[in-house]
Amino acid sequence: MEPNTSRKVALIAHCLLNQNAKVCEGARYPGVVSPVVEALRSRGYEILQLPCPELAFAGTRRWWAVYEQYDTPGYRTHCRRLAQAIAPRIEQHLRAGAEVVLIGLDGSPSTGVRFTSSKRDWGGRPNRPQDDWDLVEGRGVWIEELEAELARRGLPAVPATGWALDMGRYDETGSSRDLAEFLDRRERAMRIPGDGSSTPQGGAR
Amino acid sequence: MTGDVRGWRVALVPESLINPPPAAGGRRFDALGLLEASGYGVLQLPPAGDHRLLLAVIADQIAEYAHHGYAVVAVGVGDEPGQGLHWRRLAPLLRRRGVALPLRHIVRWDGDLEVQAQRLAAFLAGYDLPLEEQRRWRG
Repeated sequence: MEPNTSRKVALIAHCLLNQNAKVCEGARYPGVVSPVVEALRSRGYEILQLPCPELAFAGTRRWWAVYEQYDTPGYRTHCRRLAQAIAPRIEQHLRAGAEVVLIGLDGSPSTGVRFTSSKRDWGGRPNRPQDDWDLVEGRGVWIEELEAELARRGLPAVPATGWALDMGRYDETGSSRDLAEFLDRRERAMRIPGDGSSTPQGGAR
Repeated sequence: MTGDVRGWRVALVPESLINPPPAAGGRRFDALGLLEASGYGVLQLPPAGDHRLLLAVIADQIAEYAHHGYAVVAVGVGDEPGQGLHWRRLAPLLRRRGVALPLRHIVRWDGDLEVQAQRLAAFLAGYDLPLEEQRRWRG
């Protein structure tokens, strides 16, 4: 798939356009996370919003959870259905040679890219800020299933990063800097085909 | 909800308003900016075509909002098939989920973009659930 550098598409976590999808007490903006939109638009990216797996599975009134709580056969089946719903749109862009990137939500058990929340034995009543789960390198369940669906279709890995909304203390300035650096690395990689910086910027998992 | 600043309002928005083509003079109609300024979250609808499964997934999400105290509206585009909202397919999906069809506002590309923006902003600002419903769900 030869890059068609005239078109750039950012797959973005659902809640970056719609904070109403967040868990109870988790919305940091009324609706749109504008710094993300501004960073993408100023670099010429089109936006493709991903479905929110948790909203459609556990509803609007759910509490927060860790990776292990969502790592169930039922939730993975649900995520695969969502991945099959959105994958044709992604495939269309990739096969047309567009530059496609993925912006997930770091710290999320579902949409984490560089980091997800984890604690094997954590559960029960949420009690922020005393909750003591860990933030570990790796994808969330939804991103794992989405990437698996794209791989099943024979598509290349999509360079990815995460907006650090679910990493504990929220740092909008730091998140903006991280995203800008990621997008600027992509710009350089597009200008210099074969540049090492074109490798996916994802987590270890 | 402690520290939670969600806006409790969601808009269904066509692909062409999320990623608008440049208008004459290079200007773009900034629907996302207007939605952000009005405190709406966005559910992006796909462009024209067969998106059966994706629309079912979107209908599930709309139903979840509509049943739990969120105001849901739709912003269409006048000169697109189905106003860019996939209404013929989405409407029965919503009915089957017990959801009343969202109130619609239509943007027209052939109008003055400034006026269109003012009308959309007024529509967005003026809509919400009745106070009784807001109190029931939003605390």
